[in-house]
Amino acid sequence: MSQKYRLNNIGYINRNKKISFSFNKKRYFGYEGDTLASALLANGVHLVGRSFKYHRPRGFLGSGVDEPNAKVQLNKGPKTEPNISATEIELVEGLEATSQNCWPSVFFDIGAINNFLNKFFPAGFYYKTFMWPKNFWYRIYEPIIRKAAGLGVAPLKPDPDRYEHKYEHCDVLVVGSGPSGLASSLAAAKNGAKVILAEDKPRFGGSLLVDEVTIGNKKGKEWSDEVITELKSMPNVIVKNRSQVFGYYDHNMMVMFERVKDHLQNPKKYTPRQRLWYIRAKETIICTGSIERPLVFGNNDRPGIMLASAAKEYIKLYGVLIGKKPIIFTNNDSAYDTAIEFKKNGVSPLIIDTRKEVNNPIIKEAISLNIEIKFNHGIANTKGYRKIKSAIIGNFNDDKSGYENLKEISCDCICVSGSWTPTVHLSSQSGNKLKYNENVDAFIPHQSRQNETTLGSAKGTFTLKKVLDDGFKEGFQLSNKITNKNVEIKVPNSNEKNYKEHEKLWCMPLPKNKEYKRFVDFQNDVAVSDIELALREGFRSIEHVKRYTTLGMATDQGKTSNLNGLQLVSNIEKKVVPEVGHTTFRPPYTSVTIGTIVGREVGKHYRPTRKSPMHEWHKKNNAIFVDAGLWLRPRYYKKNNENLLQASIREAANVRKNVGVCDVTSLGKIDIKGPDSAELLNRVYTNAWLKLPIGKSRYGVMLREDGIVFDDGTTTRISENHFHMTTTTAQAVNVLSHLEYYLQVVWPELDVNVISSTEEWAGAAIAGPNSRNLLGRLFPNIDVSNDKLPFMGYKEADLFGVPSRIFRISFSGELAYEINVGSSYGNFMWEKIIELGKDLKIQPYGTEALSTLRIEMGHVAGSEIDGRVIASDLSLDGMLSKKKDFVGKRSLNREAFLNTKREKIVGLVPLDKKSMIPEGSHLVENYKAPLPNPKLGHVSASCWSVEYDNPFSLAILKDGKNMIGKNLYAVSPLKNTNIEVEVVSSHYVDPKGERVRS
Amino acid sequence: MLEIKCPYCGKRSQIEFSYGGDAKLERPKLGTEVSDSEWNEFVYYRNNPRGEHLELWHHISGCRQWFKVFRNTATHEILSTSKIDEKIK
Amino acid sequence: MQKYSIFNLIKNSFSNHQNWDVAWRDPQPKKEYDVIIVGGGGHGLATAFYLAKEHGISNVAILEKGWIGGGNVGRNTTILRSNYMWDANGIFYEHGMKMWENLSQELNYNVMYSPRGIINLAHSDAQLNAYARRGNSMRLNGIDAVMLNKEDLKKMIPFADFSSARFPIFGGLMQPRGGTARHDAVAWGYARQADSMGVDIIQHCEVLGFDIKNGKVAGVQTSRGEIKTKKIGLCVAGSSSILASKLNMKLPIESHVLQACVSEPVKPFLDHVVTFGAGHFYCSQSDKGEMVMGGDLDGYNSYAQRGNLPTLQHVLTEGVAMFPNLSRLKMLRTWGGIMDMSMDGSPIIDKTHIQGLYLNCGWCYGGFKATPVSGLTFAYTIAQDRPHELNSKFRLDRFQKGYLIDEKGVGTKTWIG
Repeated sequence: MSQKYRLNNIGYINRNKKISFSFNKKRYFGYEGDTLASALLANGVHLVGRSFKYHRPRGFLGSGVDEPNAKVQLNKGPKTEPNISATEIELVEGLEATSQNCWPSVFFDIGAINNFLNKFFPAGFYYKTFMWPKNFWYRIYEPIIRKAAGLGVAPLKPDPDRYEHKYEHCDVLVVGSGPSGLASSLAAAKNGAKVILAEDKPRFGGSLLVDEVTIGNKKGKEWSDEVITELKSMPNVIVKNRSQVFGYYDHNMMVMFERVKDHLQNPKKYTPRQRLWYIRAKETIICTGSIERPLVFGNNDRPGIMLASAAKEYIKLYGVLIGKKPIIFTNNDSAYDTAIEFKKNGVSPLIIDTRKEVNNPIIKEAISLNIEIKFNHGIANTKGYRKIKSAIIGNFNDDKSGYENLKEISCDCICVSGSWTPTVHLSSQSGNKLKYNENVDAFIPHQSRQNETTLGSAKGTFTLKKVLDDGFKEGFQLSNKITNKNVEIKVPNSNEKNYKEHEKLWCMPLPKNKEYKRFVDFQNDVAVSDIELALREGFRSIEHVKRYTTLGMATDQGKTSNLNGLQLVSNIEKKVVPEVGHTTFRPPYTSVTIGTIVGREVGKHYRPTRKSPMHEWHKKNNAIFVDAGLWLRPRYYKKNNENLLQASIREAANVRKNVGVCDVTSLGKIDIKGPDSAELLNRVYTNAWLKLPIGKSRYGVMLREDGIVFDDGTTTRISENHFHMTTTTAQAVNVLSHLEYYLQVVWPELDVNVISSTEEWAGAAIAGPNSRNLLGRLFPNIDVSNDKLPFMGYKEADLFGVPSRIFRISFSGELAYEINVGSSYGNFMWEKIIELGKDLKIQPYGTEALSTLRIEMGHVAGSEIDGRVIASDLSLDGMLSKKKDFVGKRSLNREAFLNTKREKIVGLVPLDKKSMIPEGSHLVENYKAPLPNPKLGHVSASCWSVEYDNPFSLAILKDGKNMIGKNLYAVSPLKNTNIEVEVVSSHYVDPKGERVRS
Repeated sequence: MLEIKCPYCGKRSQIEFSYGGDAKLERPKLGTEVSDSEWNEFVYYRNNPRGEHLELWHHISGCRQWFKVFRNTATHEILSTSKIDEKIK
Repeated sequence: MQKYSIFNLIKNSFSNHQNWDVAWRDPQPKKEYDVIIVGGGGHGLATAFYLAKEHGISNVAILEKGWIGGGNVGRNTTILRSNYMWDANGIFYEHGMKMWENLSQELNYNVMYSPRGIINLAHSDAQLNAYARRGNSMRLNGIDAVMLNKEDLKKMIPFADFSSARFPIFGGLMQPRGGTARHDAVAWGYARQADSMGVDIIQHCEVLGFDIKNGKVAGVQTSRGEIKTKKIGLCVAGSSSILASKLNMKLPIESHVLQACVSEPVKPFLDHVVTFGAGHFYCSQSDKGEMVMGGDLDGYNSYAQRGNLPTLQHVLTEGVAMFPNLSRLKMLRTWGGIMDMSMDGSPIIDKTHIQGLYLNCGWCYGGFKATPVSGLTFAYTIAQDRPHELNSKFRLDRFQKGYLIDEKGVGTKTWIG
């Protein structure tokens, strides 16, 4: 298919490389270097999408990030992507794009009925209706509205692409490679600074790509190419295209995304799709340029109405004419360039200039080229549903509040220009308080709050000479603060056209008695009448106007609409624009793919997985694992067709009867050394520690300062000034920070060091009546008798050549020992235990059996220590020293904590001795009582008691100790269970603790 | 992202640290008489200014030292950092 | 006052909407009011509305430093729920849920209450049990809650990660009546009705100081002059400590920034509010099609309504762990709000030691859903000079006495979610 609108001799596309793509299932061709927009325009396609609210036909407004209209759905399946700007996507072979938010097609869209009914749908109409009858909002109206919501379609499958992150530090980050960016980069780089130059577009040069200027007697583009080549050759410079700096965060941290893959014809399999850069820059130079401002007039949204600068860019970069019968509609000089470009390429434009006759050089040039100009004219309205066909133009009356006469002029495109808006987003994000500048009629950066310098048209500087002067000067000065090398290069001479001021007129009047929609925000269909309505109803703050009308809240974030909106508010409210103020600029400058922000921590890599040294053994022996924080722990070892409960009963019963072994590596371990170690323990634990003998362990409870139980564990005195502390798996990290806090901040006088030794040791608990026998086999050279290694005793010994620590501690309530060896010997230890325990009927047991054992013994764990209980609730009152002070003690002396009717830990046995009580059940007196039914307590942990062969639970119950012997109901409305239970002691098995001492 | 100068390690990004709150809180000495309201103040009441705030940070993925940061809570600007036993300017 | 209805909307369409009245007046402050509410956010506006409606006190001014609805009521993620474990919270918020059900009609303003269900995903049996404890407590308090298993969830959110997740989904707890509402509409709806009953909404009026005489409230000094009053209600969550410092009061509160973000709008695929149990991420899809997402605090005291990217990265990482298809959507807009983080995670609605000074603060992340019930109970507290039964547990002295209402069990480290 021929490209009717493609020129032969202009642009930077590669005409030797044809690329085929499809749009709305129709096949087209473009060239390498095209965007989807330029390729479609070359083929004469203007209608690409529909607007959000009224489903009006829309084409391209711009040529880059500011595009509000031309949003398309890209690709299919898991790689589909909604809301992609056709103006930004680079053409690759086989690209498939479709229009979105239209049905059945972009040519005929049922939703466009909204357009004909738009009278009924002004700004905020939904706040005023859909309220009757009650409940219809959610049942009827909202579902209908939701059907119409959204633009494109989200993929529903995981993203097959990968993304990565990179961290960089530099002296100077330059954002944007237009003349300011190039000048400041070059100056800083030559002065020895480490420079990163980031350009959002594929091509470097910014305005130099399209403007007729010379620098150093070269064409702008040539100079730009040379500078880029030079910068790329310098070792201290990183030059990046397709890289958008989208956020300016605290302490000069910039975040940028780089498009790495999507533009490649044949990407490698592991090429990341995008890369996120965190860049900490000592200085940031923002050269983000400016965006052309549209004009507001009747039906100014039709396909074929485009920014003049975009039309010029399509000609100069891509060799594409956006039309052959153009009207240029402007309030300033810069659009004349577009007219001249058309003329040079054989097309005669008509210029409509809102200004009264002006006599600037560029106008003379246009006249000399025989371009027709109508001064003091405006466009009142346009015609053409799917593509612009004609414009109704008129001669302004004296105060420009209306037209003297109107006439229709046919055209196939209108190029509009309302002068230029500096792109101040990053500057504003940095904390720079913007100031309104009357000359450019826009906000520009004023006072920097971080190490930010904004240059060029982003700062409202529009003459090339000044831009270059500033760029070279600032590039040198800012870099010199860092490098001190004093290498300053000369500013090249330059030549450019001269532009004069624009007219302060953006919103064209309507002809008498006409109600044409004049759009301000294209994507969200916010028209002048909506802003007028908002103000009429008292939504006068600019933030209220924005929220009420949704002005500037579309995917383009108001890049082309914000200032026109502000101007309107200022006109209507009769305030100057700076008084109206602007809405806040927040990151991101343009939308960022969520996957890019996330990076590599996806799927199984969402969080690290911690495994004990015995993990492989567990796996080989049919362990079913459970997540315990980041750790994977065996929950049970499946035999045959056992389920969780059966396996845990078997494993627990074997502990009670013979001997079991459990991997306890994940328990937190802290090594404590120093002369004041015992004193530290004495202060952070609730019980006494000063007199703990060497070679002994002790159970301890820690509180937070608010008196709530923080953690528990056993700590062992290895030597006079050396202790080994254990914590729960869950609190290991927090306990270490807690100790460090007290040591470093509160009691710096204590001479103690603490360090995590969790990873250093592999741990195995052997528990059960046969455990002493087994221990003797493991350590034949030591005396493991009850006398020599009593309960809470500690010994260091040699496990077949491996230095080991033996703690006689028990979580299961049985005679038990915990053996620690260096992590790399963990598996050796484990296999030795299994091997030597074989004829003692050893079985490994997992966390589920471990729970069973501790529950029926009444030992508390995480399900009881839930951050809301005090020691007495857990019947740990005996652990609270009366003789000494400790962390959190003072909080215990409070009304609520002293209440004798507080909840206390108890045991529960179902009366039927059969029904397992679901964890999370609550205890009530009468399960049939009306709601709210007073709750007396809750079930914290349940198990099948292997000792008694019936269910047993732990509960925290109001006035618990006095309830023992009473019957209550354990109810779980969620599971529809009401189980009558007897309240018993929480120490269900071996209440005197004889076994652990046996 | 904040850049915090650890007095022991130098400048590092925020992600290496964890926050520790109001550094002006002084824990009553162990074993001394403290009134209910004094204790309540210590446990629950915080300096929470808009502006300069003296706070604790912990170099949790570094040297594991707690230290003081003098930071503006309105702008996030860090005015200075110091070791626990140093006076902040 | 004009009634908002479909008929009036159509009628006004034919006059091109030229005849709509202002939603609220822009009055000059009077010399004296019966009650002054400081803070024109959701809670302040609702308080003024209920003072007028329930207590006949309409000589009320709302003083707002900026523009009404510009604080947390306009920057939250609009979630409504009463899925609390503790009775004090559950019963309070459930009363609020019942108010939400009638709010559009009560205010004659469509607040778009959408009970689409809030689902808390669980990623282990232990977590399911913890949720069961909460859900059962809700049910016994008369609040709706159901347990969902993995198969239920596969039908409701098939795009969640059921196959390769680091922390697999085991099930979830759902409150079917939980949902969302349109945040701005809540502020504007209350403002419009309060105004119509005579309440003066005074914007761009900053409170600079307070007149306290003999332990009693006498008036306020503002950027627009002195105003007399005998009763002042502080409704300035986010800035509570700053206002309190003007009264030489310290509060059990820290101010922290919480960020949220939305994706670009896409055709609706998520019909519920879903929270991730192996992190703090939550997500819903607005009626515009945007995915509304939030999670953790930035984690250090802040009054800047801006956060930093690592927190958002962290939150979105959790999001993609839950819904891997979010990866290809694009983050459109981010913002931050300042949270009054109280020391037990629950709010404070109470009198103070100064006669005539009332405090409404400490809403942590959850103030939006409380807007109606907070307004109702705070108005009661101000009008009757004693707490309503519903807020009788949200006292300031609960800390000293130990009656904490700690849903999360993390204590006073407010920045730890």
